[in-house]
Amino acid sequence: MRITELRKKIGKTDLYIEDLKIESGLVHGLVGPNGCGKTTLLKLIMGIVQPDSGSVDYEGLSMTDMTMMSQRPYLMHTSVYDNIIYPLKIRGEKIDRDEVEALMERVGLLDLKDQYAGSLSSGERQKLSFIRAIVFRPKMVLMDETLSNLDAESEALFREIIMERHREDGSTWLIVSHQWDEMNDLFDKVHHMEKGRIVK
Amino acid sequence: MGEWLSGVFSNPAVLSAIKVTFEMAFASTLISAVLGVAIGLWLQNHDFTGKKAVVRINRTLMGVPPVVIGLLVYLLTMRGGPLGPLSLLFTVRGMVLAQVLIITPIISGMVFSYAESAVPAIRAFARTMGADKKQTDRLIISELRNEIYFCIITGFGRAISEVGSVMLVGGNIKGHTRTMTTMISLLKSQGIYSEGIGLGVLLLIMAFILQTLGDYVRKEQIRDENY
Repeated sequence: MRITELRKKIGKTDLYIEDLKIESGLVHGLVGPNGCGKTTLLKLIMGIVQPDSGSVDYEGLSMTDMTMMSQRPYLMHTSVYDNIIYPLKIRGEKIDRDEVEALMERVGLLDLKDQYAGSLSSGERQKLSFIRAIVFRPKMVLMDETLSNLDAESEALFREIIMERHREDGSTWLIVSHQWDEMNDLFDKVHHMEKGRIVK
Repeated sequence: MGEWLSGVFSNPAVLSAIKVTFEMAFASTLISAVLGVAIGLWLQNHDFTGKKAVVRINRTLMGVPPVVIGLLVYLLTMRGGPLGPLSLLFTVRGMVLAQVLIITPIISGMVFSYAESAVPAIRAFARTMGADKKQTDRLIISELRNEIYFCIITGFGRAISEVGSVMLVGGNIKGHTRTMTTMISLLKSQGIYSEGIGLGVLLLIMAFILQTLGDYVRKEQIRDENY
């Protein structure tokens, strides 16, 4: 994926990405202080926000191959299980219940599978969002501060699953964090942002 | 008490008023729900010049006195009016038309308000899941179902309790266009209170049931923390 001369002004954030290449098959870190435009960049890549100018060349990647995990994940008004299988349902894919439940068990959501998703705690919401994002094996995953809000145990588990999926599928990950020193071992490549610009 | 109630509800005129009220309320709520939900969601999803004015007009119509709508429909449906050839005046269909004009802006205005706060998050989520336009539209309706139910319940409550416009357009004809509310009004003017109280109690029970349903769906909304 290549981002060229992408500009977006939202409030105080004046984002301008002159040239950014996201090589496929790598785990990328996007790091920088709060308010520097990291989330806006992910939203622009995902097409949630439209740019004022510039472009994103997806290089053959379709929107259905990508997903994004937000800081505050949206939970559908249904059960935990139905939330998780939603991306499989809309793709018309066969739902392998055993595989889904194995993933849920791994993050500790299996006992909550029939529970109303809105009643989950914030940590459980992140877990649901994570499983829902990877259940359909996307080619590219964008994560917006998802790991920063987890307890140490869950963070370690998420990292483990990320590395597994990355190895198995060769998927590309773009992980936003403001704690890049702690996450550095996870990233193949790190992009630093400051005041709406990629600085290195 | 039991004897009084059975006396009230064995009166054919009372039963007819209940039947007409429900026919009118169900038909007008059904039509208004389809129109109101579609208009509310469409307004949320489209930007155009004059949108703010349209929203303001909608909000104004939410509070318009029903008797004004009744007068408008009367003038439209009277023999010399533009809809005169349809023979809607003093019919249940004419009353439904008036009710639709009263209830549709209420439902569309409420749906629009809910959609304004909820739909951007749902669209963004649908995008992250790779949903196409149809799937996104289905998801929006499914996610707003509690809010939509609440809007429809509100519309239905308005339909069964309305008196001004149905009196004007329906003419309060016994066994034909007489509703529970117009019957209560007539009974009061005749000094017959027992049947009026019976109908009033029934309306109160219905209002209580609607309120209970409304509370239930609002509780579902409160459980949600997405937006």
